[in-house]
Amino acid sequence: MIRKYSVLVSLVVLAVVMLVPFAIVTLNAVKSPADYSSGGPLSLPSELYLDGIVDFWNRVDFGGKLWNSLLISGSVAVLATVLSVLNAYALGIGRVRGRVWILVVFLVANTLPQEALVYPLYYLAKQVGLYDTRLGVIIIFTVIQSAFGTYLLSSVLGRFPHEILEAAALDGAGRWRTLWRIVVPISRPTLSVLLVFFFIWTWNEFFLPLVFLISNENQTVPVALGVLQGDKMMDATMSSASALLGILPAVVFFLIFQRTLTRGVTVGAVK
Amino acid sequence: MPRSRDRGYLVFLLPSAVLFTAVIVVPFLMNVGIGFTRWQGIGDPRWIGLENYTRLLADERFWSSFRNNVALIVAMAIVPTLIGLVLAATLFDYVGKKVGPRAAGVLRAAYYLPQVLPVAVAGIVWGWIMHPRFGALNELLGLLGMEPRNWLGDPDWALPSVMVIMVWFQIGYPVVIFMSGLQRVDPALYEAAEMDGASWWRRFWHITIPQIRPEIYVVLLTCTIAALKVFGPIFVLTRGGPGGATLVPSYFSYQNFFEKANVGYGAAIATVLTLVIIAVTVFFLRVQDRES
Amino acid sequence: MFNLRVGVATVAALAALAACGGTEQAADKPAADGPRVLKLWHYEGADSAMGKAWAEAVKQFEATHPNVTVKFEEKAFEQIRQSAGMILNSDEAPDVMEYNKGNATAGLLSKQGLLTDLTPEVTKRGWDKLLSPSIQTTARYDERGVMGAGKWYGVPNYAEYVMVYYNKDAFKKAGVEVPTTYEEFTAALDTFVKAGTTPIAVGGAEYPAQQIFYQLALSKAQRSWVDAFQLYKGKVDFKGPEFRYAADTFADWVKKGYIDKDSAAIKAEDMGVSFIGGKYPILVSGSWWYGRLVSDVKDFEWGSFLWPGNTMSAGSSGNVWVVPENAKNKDLAYDFIDITMKKDIQNLLGNSGGIPVAADTAAITDEKSKELIENFNTLSASDGLAFYPDWPAPGYYDVLVAGVQNLINGTKTPDAVLDEIAAPYQENLADIGN
Repeated sequence: MIRKYSVLVSLVVLAVVMLVPFAIVTLNAVKSPADYSSGGPLSLPSELYLDGIVDFWNRVDFGGKLWNSLLISGSVAVLATVLSVLNAYALGIGRVRGRVWILVVFLVANTLPQEALVYPLYYLAKQVGLYDTRLGVIIIFTVIQSAFGTYLLSSVLGRFPHEILEAAALDGAGRWRTLWRIVVPISRPTLSVLLVFFFIWTWNEFFLPLVFLISNENQTVPVALGVLQGDKMMDATMSSASALLGILPAVVFFLIFQRTLTRGVTVGAVK
Repeated sequence: MPRSRDRGYLVFLLPSAVLFTAVIVVPFLMNVGIGFTRWQGIGDPRWIGLENYTRLLADERFWSSFRNNVALIVAMAIVPTLIGLVLAATLFDYVGKKVGPRAAGVLRAAYYLPQVLPVAVAGIVWGWIMHPRFGALNELLGLLGMEPRNWLGDPDWALPSVMVIMVWFQIGYPVVIFMSGLQRVDPALYEAAEMDGASWWRRFWHITIPQIRPEIYVVLLTCTIAALKVFGPIFVLTRGGPGGATLVPSYFSYQNFFEKANVGYGAAIATVLTLVIIAVTVFFLRVQDRES
Repeated sequence: MFNLRVGVATVAALAALAACGGTEQAADKPAADGPRVLKLWHYEGADSAMGKAWAEAVKQFEATHPNVTVKFEEKAFEQIRQSAGMILNSDEAPDVMEYNKGNATAGLLSKQGLLTDLTPEVTKRGWDKLLSPSIQTTARYDERGVMGAGKWYGVPNYAEYVMVYYNKDAFKKAGVEVPTTYEEFTAALDTFVKAGTTPIAVGGAEYPAQQIFYQLALSKAQRSWVDAFQLYKGKVDFKGPEFRYAADTFADWVKKGYIDKDSAAIKAEDMGVSFIGGKYPILVSGSWWYGRLVSDVKDFEWGSFLWPGNTMSAGSSGNVWVVPENAKNKDLAYDFIDITMKKDIQNLLGNSGGIPVAADTAAITDEKSKELIENFNTLSASDGLAFYPDWPAPGYYDVLVAGVQNLINGTKTPDAVLDEIAAPYQENLADIGN
């Protein structure tokens, strides 16, 4: 009895510790600037101050930024997952020759520090007219994220049970059918992970969107947050408020997909 | 026979190959090329051969940045993987079964949430927590009778403090991946082991870990790569300071690219960093492939 | 079979996305005749003095230019700082934008041919008559991208300088008078230390610490030294009396307890908040804090004074208006700049907490603003603006932060720190004009 509760309690304590910074952000998001200046960032607000959030929303047209972020992150999540599935199928199940080297080449996408890519991509994007477009950013991140997806998924598919594949082949299923009818449904937990990760990672991307999305109407949420960090001054309460606004969609997305993460079909059940 | 079988599967790699060449390979080659020039980003680059590289090898900041990186690999790959394994197994096996899957899901969400917070905001908040005078950490330590310290400002403590913050940041990622991997494990294996009287630890060691080996490899490698590339947290927490105590190669190259407009030098640093990462990756993948 | 399906799906998806990309491009093409759009960018908050004055300028512009709409976009400073070169080199460049003054920023862009030479407009409209010579330094750049002389590339609207803010109530309580000499200043600091308070709030992680360092150097410096350091008009000896004094004294101040030995990781924001919260009686920083203090300090009386004993202080013109070479509506841009230089806009700027460069001093009504602006005018009239210590070399900001952090932490001797900050400066000097 004690053992069960001590484990549970320590897990909960850890969870609380993990969430302390969020609590601080929330505290400051609803704090008036005067409270913040006199009490400091860690003090409790004397009253709930929501003007900061409202002001910020209007100031940067947050609704539009939310839409841009949603569009970009959602597209990247879906497209990158699809690409990962295609690649991982070839590498993990097809086991093409030279797969280690192919994987390395793909992973380079993930290993390249972003600042190394910026100048070349800027010039290339300008040439094809994709500078300052959301499409350009979507393409770039799809490639970068799919590298990770390819790696994770091909590792998992590398241990895909052969009996199932053989059974499908015996039934006359071609490679394409096997992929979509058998492999994908079984891999759903991993695919859900990819979708969630890609969405969240792309949502929080700051650097490349900062460089590529110039017009205010194309910008994403993290870039809009950057407005509050000036040359010498920073608006702390507004930053906290906007941070909360900014992460809510990502958190909501994660919580929704949590359910699919816990569902999913195990290999044994399929058998 | 193998060749025709391969060709059937190679087709699946085509879409990625095309995009990849355009978005990664060409820019990477351009970056390598820029590393041989002196350039300010606009205007014409000037060819200077290996001068950037010779300068790099002699630059003390370059070497110390890689040393700092090793510490961060421990903090971002090794520790989170270990903790993540234990947490994931506990949540999945223990909490999921004895308390309920919803509780496990809630805890997992709590552990993952730090990854959702934008780095810029996380940096500001941790700055507040670790403030030497008014920070929550020092206040807490004071209550426990321990000595307050200048966590992020003291060159001896800055890197360890950043390491701790990175562990906080990273734990959720392995937990989510491992838990999804555990879904794959046939529950019959666990039941059989439990009926045989195996303790939690033995089940963990002999069933859990071997079954999610692919995920363990992926997490270790991707976290190591992330550690080698780490930029955002350093930028917001310490700007590589104090006095360069937390400088990392990625930040060092960024400084050259964007703050000093030494694009050629920055490109050289980025190229070296990339080659190191590629070497680590190849090594890892080879080992992993041999296992499966 | 699968080729067709995948192909169609992919094409459809890409076409849909391309439509998004497409409309974004089309929207920006300006019409040949008829209604025009002036693309204006700046990064000052709407509540700031500049924000208010410029909003009024936009109104006046639209009133006097009926067929022009002003498309204003508030930008993130970080984005402009990082990507200005890239943006100005593309079709996305605005018509007129705020940009940072200095060799590493405006100078660099002018050298790269990305900014329009404003000299003809300046003489035509008489802007040079409105600006004092020390203000003009940051508006003009030569072919090497060095400020001080050469063509006009920017037009400043406001100015800034570093001063000592102080908590009047805390001073009264400690029995300290406003110091007028350097000795009185250190005596005041001593009094606070004896009473158990660290007097100066410092942000060692960002610009504030190096500005104190610079103020100390300036106390021993001549104009020619500043010209040598900032405009490369002569050689700078980093072990000479100015910097040596600064390094030794700074380390001494940490030892004496004037400056917190734990302040190396404190950000400027937290430094300001701690002053506003009454935790430190003195804040050495710039006029950019002024508006914030006015609105946020509720618990005590405060004021400011120039760094005692110095004829020069850190300071300069504010950020400048630049017209990108790729701008599509240059004539409109010039008209807009002209409006911002008019007396009524300048007076509005002054009365809103900023420091105007061409206002009517009699029209400034607010008491505190008067004090702020008068202190500046004193400095400017005696050619006492010494710019900022991180200007001379790109990336020098980080060098100075690291160097001064070493002084605060005592991890390096003042001598070693001087070596540390000398090297990048000399390296850059060798590169000037390349």
